[in-house]
Amino acid sequence: MGYIFYPGCASEATGKASFISFEAVVKALGMDVHDEIPDWNCCGASLVANAVGDLAQQAIAARNLALAEKAGKDVIVACSSCYLNLSWTNEKMKIDPKFHSQINEALGAGGLSYSAGLQVRHLIDVLINEVGLDKVRERTIKPLEGLKVACYSGCQTVRAIRRPDFDDVEFPVMLDRLVEALGATAVPFPMAARCCGGAQQFTNPELIYDLTGKVLDSAAENGADVIVTPCPMCALNTDAFQDKIAKLKKKKYNMPVLFVTQLMGVAFDLKPKDLAFPYNIVSPYKKLAKWVKK
Amino acid sequence: MTAANKQASRYDPAFANELYAIENGEYMKQCMQCGLCVVTCPARHLMDLQPRKYFKAIQAGDRDQVLKANTPWLCTSCNLCTVRCPRGIPIIDVMHGMKLYLAQKQGIKVAPGALFSKTFFDVMLKRGRQWEAWLTQMYYLKAGPGAIKDAMKMIDVAQAMVFKKRLPLAPAKTIKGKSQLKKIYEKAAALAKEGH
Repeated sequence: MGYIFYPGCASEATGKASFISFEAVVKALGMDVHDEIPDWNCCGASLVANAVGDLAQQAIAARNLALAEKAGKDVIVACSSCYLNLSWTNEKMKIDPKFHSQINEALGAGGLSYSAGLQVRHLIDVLINEVGLDKVRERTIKPLEGLKVACYSGCQTVRAIRRPDFDDVEFPVMLDRLVEALGATAVPFPMAARCCGGAQQFTNPELIYDLTGKVLDSAAENGADVIVTPCPMCALNTDAFQDKIAKLKKKKYNMPVLFVTQLMGVAFDLKPKDLAFPYNIVSPYKKLAKWVKK
Repeated sequence: MTAANKQASRYDPAFANELYAIENGEYMKQCMQCGLCVVTCPARHLMDLQPRKYFKAIQAGDRDQVLKANTPWLCTSCNLCTVRCPRGIPIIDVMHGMKLYLAQKQGIKVAPGALFSKTFFDVMLKRGRQWEAWLTQMYYLKAGPGAIKDAMKMIDVAQAMVFKKRLPLAPAKTIKGKSQLKKIYEKAAALAKEGH
């Protein structure tokens, strides 16, 4: 059946590197992912429900599912917040008939409907459970031997819906397995599914400094060379706020933050433009000098 | 009024019932005060009422405490309390309902998070997708002169992001189905109102 891609708004801005490297990795692995959901809209992130309530946000998110169903393909998502909204709306429609009919009534106002017959899958889930680690190992041309990685799954990635066949909600390990398949070492990282503070950069910045600071501290204390994450919000907070937090805490981190598909691109020896390193705020070139020439 | 009466009037069962009737409000009845959400919450140290006490105040109908608490505005949507709650309360969804209630009751300036969420929604609904650079400007514009100081503190981060093309100043794409999206939203909002 294959997958149709939901990129999410971050793919056009803060998480552009995720988008570029995702497309390249999908191609390199020959994954059955074709096209974006045509005319997809914002899923509402972790903010819209605050302003309009859950049902209204989930109806907004469900428009994407209705459009995907027209294409007849399951949905693959790389962004954790989009995954939370789309997969939870999808799941709730499957288990709650009243919710199913309310969403369809709302979709009907726009001439759409959704039967809730699709699956919504996270990129990491598809890579582990469908593509398989053997294929990832096979495709690895430059094993990342000696590279120590803090695997930051992020909270929403594993907690959207409880899927024991995907990962543990508190102590995720799938990203570690993926990174190990690239030849790198996953360091112990107790903050793997702890919050970075989310989208409160403007409203409660001290919360971001505190929580993201703890994530950076944990990665540094465990000897990581880089942090790897699938989540654009985790990546934004740990990368863009790193310098500010370092100054506040009087520390030096020098901790590049890569999207998991960027690191896969390195191991797969993809073209420099596919790695999208120019978007990284903390430069990853020095830590990855063994495998990537600037 | 005697001191005892004053104390008694602090707790208003009608207020508790009003909150049970908001979207996801009914779940708040289920809280048994175990406190697992408190040890779980990454933002608890900044809350004036930590989640357990917040739910107690709601159940008790303690209007003053509930209305002035910053609790829901600090929720980061990390979902850890929701997966841990032994009573199965989707705490994150309850917080969404409370934030919507508070903004409607007390106005959009009730907390920076209310204004930011509303601005995010307005930009998103108009374009179909988010445009962060515009969202940021609109938010600070609406927040008023007092927020300029806060905005200045973020200049270094914003500059780095613009320099690395992670905060494009040019408008993001808009979708074709803008009016379709608006109709879907309006219908869902009406259904939510009917149901509560």
